This record gives sequence, C-alpha cells and structure tokens, in this order.
Amino acid sequence: MTLELKDLADYQDIMERCIRCSMCKWIPQVQIKSWKYAQVCPSIDEYNFHAYSGGGRMIVALSLLTERIGYSEEVLNIVYRCTMCGACSVSCKYLNDLEPAEVIEALRKKIVEDGQGPLPAHKKYVQAVETRHNPYDEDPPQRLAWLPSDVKVSKDAKVAYFVGCTASYRRKEIAIATARIFNKVGVEFQLLGEEEFCCGSPVLRAGEKDLLKRLIERNINEFKARGIEKIVTSCAGCYSMIKAEYPRYHKHDLEIVHTSELLEQLINEDKLKLTKEVPLTVTYHDPCHLGRCSEPYQEWHGKIVEPISLVRFPVPPKPIRKGTFGCYYPPRNVLKAIPGLKFVEMERIKEYAYCCGAGGGVKAAFPDFALNTAGRRIEEAQDTGATGLVSCCPFCSTNLQDAIDANNVDMKFYDLTELVLMAMED
Amino acid sequence: MIEDNEFEALVEIVGPQNVSREPAILDTYAFQWCAEIINVLYDKPPSRYYIRPAAVIMPSTTEEVQRFVRTCNKYGLKFKAFSTGLGPWNCVSSERTIQVDLRRMNKIVKIDVKNQYAVVEPYVSGAQLQAETMKFGLNCHMPGAGPQVSPLASSTSMGGPGFTSASTGFAGRNVLGVEWVLPSGDLLQLGSLGQKDAPNWYSGDGPGPSLRGIMRGFMGAKSGLGIFTRVATKLYPFPCDPKWVMRGESPDYKFDIPNYMQFYVINYRKWEGLINAIRRFEEEELGFMCYYASSAAVLASFSGSLEEFMSQYGLHTRLKRPLTIMITAVSEREFEYKKKVVEGLIEETGGKDYTKKLKIRDISYAEALRCLLGFHGFLITGAFQSTHGGMDTIDVAFKLAQLNVPLKKEYIAQNVIANDEGEGVWLATYEHGQMAHCEMPTMYDATNPESIIGMTKYAHACDEMDLKEHLTIPFFVEGDKQHEWYGPHCMNYHLWLRKIKEAFDPQNIADPGFYITSKKET
Repeated sequence: MTLELKDLADYQDIMERCIRCSMCKWIPQVQIKSWKYAQVCPSIDEYNFHAYSGGGRMIVALSLLTERIGYSEEVLNIVYRCTMCGACSVSCKYLNDLEPAEVIEALRKKIVEDGQGPLPAHKKYVQAVETRHNPYDEDPPQRLAWLPSDVKVSKDAKVAYFVGCTASYRRKEIAIATARIFNKVGVEFQLLGEEEFCCGSPVLRAGEKDLLKRLIERNINEFKARGIEKIVTSCAGCYSMIKAEYPRYHKHDLEIVHTSELLEQLINEDKLKLTKEVPLTVTYHDPCHLGRCSEPYQEWHGKIVEPISLVRFPVPPKPIRKGTFGCYYPPRNVLKAIPGLKFVEMERIKEYAYCCGAGGGVKAAFPDFALNTAGRRIEEAQDTGATGLVSCCPFCSTNLQDAIDANNVDMKFYDLTELVLMAMED
Repeated sequence: MIEDNEFEALVEIVGPQNVSREPAILDTYAFQWCAEIINVLYDKPPSRYYIRPAAVIMPSTTEEVQRFVRTCNKYGLKFKAFSTGLGPWNCVSSERTIQVDLRRMNKIVKIDVKNQYAVVEPYVSGAQLQAETMKFGLNCHMPGAGPQVSPLASSTSMGGPGFTSASTGFAGRNVLGVEWVLPSGDLLQLGSLGQKDAPNWYSGDGPGPSLRGIMRGFMGAKSGLGIFTRVATKLYPFPCDPKWVMRGESPDYKFDIPNYMQFYVINYRKWEGLINAIRRFEEEELGFMCYYASSAAVLASFSGSLEEFMSQYGLHTRLKRPLTIMITAVSEREFEYKKKVVEGLIEETGGKDYTKKLKIRDISYAEALRCLLGFHGFLITGAFQSTHGGMDTIDVAFKLAQLNVPLKKEYIAQNVIANDEGEGVWLATYEHGQMAHCEMPTMYDATNPESIIGMTKYAHACDEMDLKEHLTIPFFVEGDKQHEWYGPHCMNYHLWLRKIKEAFDPQNIADPGFYITSKKET
C-alpha cells in the first residue's frame, strides 16, 4: 500500500532537514494574537526541554536511528509524553514540509519493534483491546448497556452508528443523545453491539502496528458483512481512524461521517429543527482528531525533478496534509443554529487548536500531564467569557471534564449532541 | 562530562525537572541550523550535530541565573545561554559546558505605552511582543530571522537587521535598559536602569552606565560575556490600522489587509537605476520597508509553496534589480500623499511598477508586518544561510552585492549551491538610508555533504572577499580562529575585544566559542 506508515529510516532525510526554528512550538505565527495563547504544543509547555517538542522529537529519533544514543527511561518519556495531536506538523508545514507527527508515529512503531515499548499503561490497554475489544477492559456484552429501551434501532440499516469505546462505556450521555436525535429526525441506523470492536486508535498511538492491522482488517470485514455503507460516529478518534488511517492499511469505500456533519446536513435540509431556546454562552473546543488529524492521506505517484540545481521539485505536486481540510465548520454551524445560544471563539481554534491533553496514550500513562493540559485549555475557554464548553469527542470530554472537576472551575461541559437535543422539541 | 556533585548543585538551584544530563535531551541542543557548516569550518565531518553540552539547565528567575553562574565559577564549569535558540552560535563549543535554556523566563515585564518601550525576558518571541503591543497601537522591531525568535537575544547578542529596518533600525539600535548577569554572577544594570535613585528602563545610555558597545560590539557576544535576563526595547507607532483579521485555514489564510498599506515592487534592471532609486526613496523617508532582494528572492518571499514559486519563476528573467517598498499610513490623506510620492519617484527614477505582475497574496501583508517574509527562503531547498552580512553605507552595500555575483556563480557551477544566477541578495536600509545591511542568502542542501562542504568554502571565500575588497566585517567572524584571521587586517580590533573579555570574564567561564577567549594571542 502506498499510503502505509513508513519506517523511521524512511524519514531520515526529513529529520536531517529540521532547522530547529521552533515554529513547531507555536501556533502559526500569523495567527498569534496574544502572549498568553501563542504556544501550541502541550508537551513542550509541560516539560520545557527542546526534546519535548515536535522538532526535538525528530532530533531524538535521528539520534536513535543513527545510534548516537540508546534507549533509556528518558527516551521513552520523550516519545510517549506526546499527545500526538499533530499541532506541531500544522505549524511546521505553514512554511515548510517536514512531518514531525509522522516521525513520532514511526518512532513509536520502531520502539515497539525494538521491544522497548510501549509503556506498561499502554500495554495494559492494548491487551484489553486484543482480548476484550475495548481499551477499558470492559465486558463486551455490556457495550450496549447505555442503550435506552425506547431507542429504535434498525438492524438492517445501511447506516451504522459507530459508538466508540469511550461513549459506550464512559460517556454514555453522548451515545444516548446521539441515538435519540437520530430517532427524532428519522435517521435509521444499526448498532454493532458486541461486534463493535475498538477502532484501533489507542493501538496506533501505542505503536502496535501488527494488532492495528488485524483490527482494521477485521472491522472493515465486519462492516461489509453487515451491509453497512455509511458509518456515523460521535467520536472524533474513531472518525479520524476510519476516515484517514484505515485507507493507509486497507482501502475501503465506506462513507464516514461525524455526527456534527450529519447534524449540519439535516439542519440545512430542514429535517432537523432546532426551536427551543438554549440560553447559554458557549465556546467550542476542536478535537484534534476531528480537525487537523482527520485530513485523509493521499497517494502520490510522481517523480522528483531538479529544475534548478538542488531544488527538489515533485511532479506532479505532492499532496501534503497541512490540517487545512479538517472538520471545522459543521460543529460551529450547528451551534450557530441553536436558538438563544451565544457562541464565542477561543484564540486557538481549528487547525491550530490547543489539544485537550488526553490523546496519544498520555491520559493512561501520564495523567497529571493530561490534566494540566486540559486545565490550560479550560482557562482559555474561560477567558472567552463563556460558561459552557462544547466539543465533539468523548475522550476530550472525559479529560476536559476531569480538569473542570479537579480545578473546581465554574464551567459546564457539553457534547454537541446534548445541546442539540436540548434545542429540539420534545 | 559533569560530575555527580556538580550536577546535584545544579539540581539544587532549579529542581530536578529543570536540569538534565540525558544524552537524548542533550542531543537536541547539539543539533542546530547550520551546525554542519561550523563543523566543516573547524575541519570536522559535515554533521548536523555540533558539540553536545555536559548538561542543560532551565532557570526561571534572574536570581536562579546568578546562583547558577556562581556555581559554574565554583566548579570550573562553562556555560552557554540561549533564548529561543536558532543557529549554531547557540551551541556550546567545548566540553564541560552547560547549556542554559532560558525558555522558562518568558514574561513581558512591562509595556510602557506613554514612553514607547517594552521590557521583556529572554523567551518572549517577537510575535508575542508585537501581538501585545498592537493592542496599544504600537509595534516592535523584529529581526529577519523571524517572529519566533527573541527580541532580547537580538537586542543584546546578535545583529538584528529586519525587513522593517528602514523605519525601525536594527535590534542593537533599539535596546534600552538591560539587566545582565556577568560571568562572576554579579548583576549589572545598564543605562537608566543603573541609576542609584529611581532606576528605570527608558534609556540605554544613561543616566547610568552606558556599556552598549561593550555589551554588543559588532554582532553581539553570543553569551560570551554572561547572560542577559531582561531588556527594554523601543516601540514604534503601529504603521497602519492595527487590526488583525485572518480567515481560512493554514496555509491558505486570507488576511484582511489593514487600511493604508501598499506593497510596491519596482523594476530597475540596472544597478545604477536601483542605487539611485533606493537613495531617493529613502531621502523621502517613505517606506515602512525598503529593500533590494533579487528577483528569485522576491518571488520566493511572496510564494506560499515551492509549486507557487516555480509557477512564477519565469518572471525572474524580466524582473531584474527590483526595489521592494511598503508604504503605510495612519490616514487616508497620508496614504494618498505617499502613493503620489511613490508614483512620482518611480517616474523620476525610471523604474517600472511590477507590483501587479506579481501575485502578491494578502497574507504577504501579514507576513510583512510579522516579519515572516525571510522564512520563505527555506521553501526552496530546505536550507539556506547568508554570507557577508555587514552593515555600512549604501555605497559599500551595493559594491558588495555586485562583486559577489561572479564569486557565487563559481560555486553554482560546481553544483554545490542553488542556482540564483549569483544574484541572491537581501539589502535593506537602516533608518531611511543612514546605513545599509547587505547579506547574500544562499540555498544549499543540508543533507548532502558535497553541498555542505561547498557552501562552507563559498562562505569562507565571501569572508575573504570582504577583506580583500575592503568591504565590511561579515556576520560570521566569531570565535578565536576567525577573529585572529580578521583582526590584523582591521586595526587589531580582536586584541581589544580580548581585553573586554578578560576584564569581564578572566576565567573564560562564559563560552567564548562564538565570541573570543580571554587568552593572550599566541
């Protein structure tokens, strides 16, 4: 497969081209509007050493690859204290074409291949995914325990609601709200129930490629066997996996839609009517996996020519993922359609949004780091004057809610579906 | 190598989480932009890594910096500080040297709106400072290295020319009060900050001790005279409407060009026309920006990608000796006046307005305000470095630009640097023509040993040309080897530089690698 993740050695040229400009630590320079919210990488914000930045990790990867350094506890910390949010890549690629996020992914893969990783906390959930099909080690038959008895499910529907492990077991309110909205507007959907396996996101972030490949293969086969043509998910992580990552390993023709996209479409088609006032001032947190990380990879078949000496020019131009085409507007448009709701933006948004801090295995292995990052994001949300924080990802939801609780912040978290449900007539 | 007791002493100052001697951490401080060139210059393989520090420490206050420096004195450790850390001169140059990463000192201490200056710590970036000063209708000078680098480092320790130098000078011209931790660990406060009574930041030269020349010399001591912990820098009125509205997603941002801003690219084709024009434009004190960049450089700076650059590249044969001007104003009347003067001057100087022939995107206006145009140089081969780099009169700057063309072509013919027909140059005036800065951006391939070695030889040949042709002291005459080569040709300045080093740092404790050692010349 031309899109499949490359080995670390394939990135040597890219790593050697880093100029250590530190653009990866900041939001794109032209977007900086204040001293306070100029930075974009949660890891360097927490740990400060250059190694804990996107560029720094490329140098560490190069040092490992060229055997300038060996493995150590600090090396593993550097590699795994990263939420893999991809913000470093967006900032780098505003004016350059390096791939720090892909290098980090390849580095994690190498660490597993070398028998040095992942960390114990990751091994635990990877094992749970393998045996119980979810990272929480929950009972598979309990996957549909969230499902209210009055929700109508159509087992032969071509549309599947892929709930995701976090909404199934931890943020059930999101699954419930989503299913109720679908029932109300007449979207027929099936649920995979016990046969819904983890999408593979936590496995990918841990660097466990073999299991990931098996999981992707299995899931796609399951979708096909059930006659599913379209997958709707309320989870940003599942969305980016199936949309952007699956085709790197296994091409598929499934349509993958996030609930925010479907809700926007239904509103535009006048099938979803939001009539009840929701008198709140809210701001919106872009989940990394719904936004910049959901941009699909594209195949490139071309050659490098040298029209001017030393200028390596790809013909045809090589598509580069820069975060441009993430899902940014549907959630915002849905919020704007809710009567009585006042929507205000944070400073760091869309492709340069600050990560919630949970991803990349950080929440499991480094909970304090995850919480501190979420705390910074909550502070940014509070600075808008909003009293409600909205997002579209159960995992962001968990971490942001944890930070609200831990810091005793006067702010309420909502999933987008919960607000939509509030705005619908009974 | 750092001994356990020495390391523990550092831990005691900043806590275990802010000091490290892990090879993986340290390697990220040895890897630097253009380290490969320095390696070749010092007869080493063209590695992207320079020397690995013995440890790295991240103090958060001036007091911690002082304690750290005193600890270095106690144990005979050297230190090398940096702020945002772009460039090989941020690397340590010898064993048993501690890298001081000032990232945790990142506060804007003060913005004095009435007196138009700001006080910053080392890790405040130019973009951060500009974003905050804009809120008061003010602007700061930013060096050509970009908005992500440190105004403090640029002001105290580097050259600091920028795209707006026509109106904002260079960093060394903007520095006011300074807080400086000497190699002894003592604190020195320069300018009005050094007054016994009512110390304040408003002046670099007094009342109080004025040591600006000692502190900076020509291009700064690169931490070779201690560590600067706070600096006041001048602010200027924001040149146009200080609104900042950006739309779309990276990299395809759309910028609402503020009222009263206009780029001009004026083609002169011949040197004489260009030199006359730059003088005339600067006599009228017109430009917020006013510089000569070669046609390829102009095309690169206005391109968002290599593809975009290539799509416009055909223009470079027609665009020869272009002058780039940006006019700004704070009222419609002023703007109209300036536009008329520009049009008149174009006619008077025989230029041809090429502005509309180029695809100048609206984002280029934001990048101009934020000093991001120079960064486009990396789009072409992924690596560039400038040679020459002196500041002198407009005459000398243009003499340099012309003389360099045949030299550069020699190396282009060897296929070790990218082909810009020998004309790659960035020549910016300072303070409306009072001085001029001239450097030759040169693109090479940092992953190709032949290119790196060729680039280094070319850079050395440029330095030789500066000497032979009596031009200017170039950027990268730094370190003993270079100073001892250059000094005897230039009134033995290096002996005086060495005396300064000896007076401030007799133990050579502040890394002299990119400055000068205090040892006697052998």
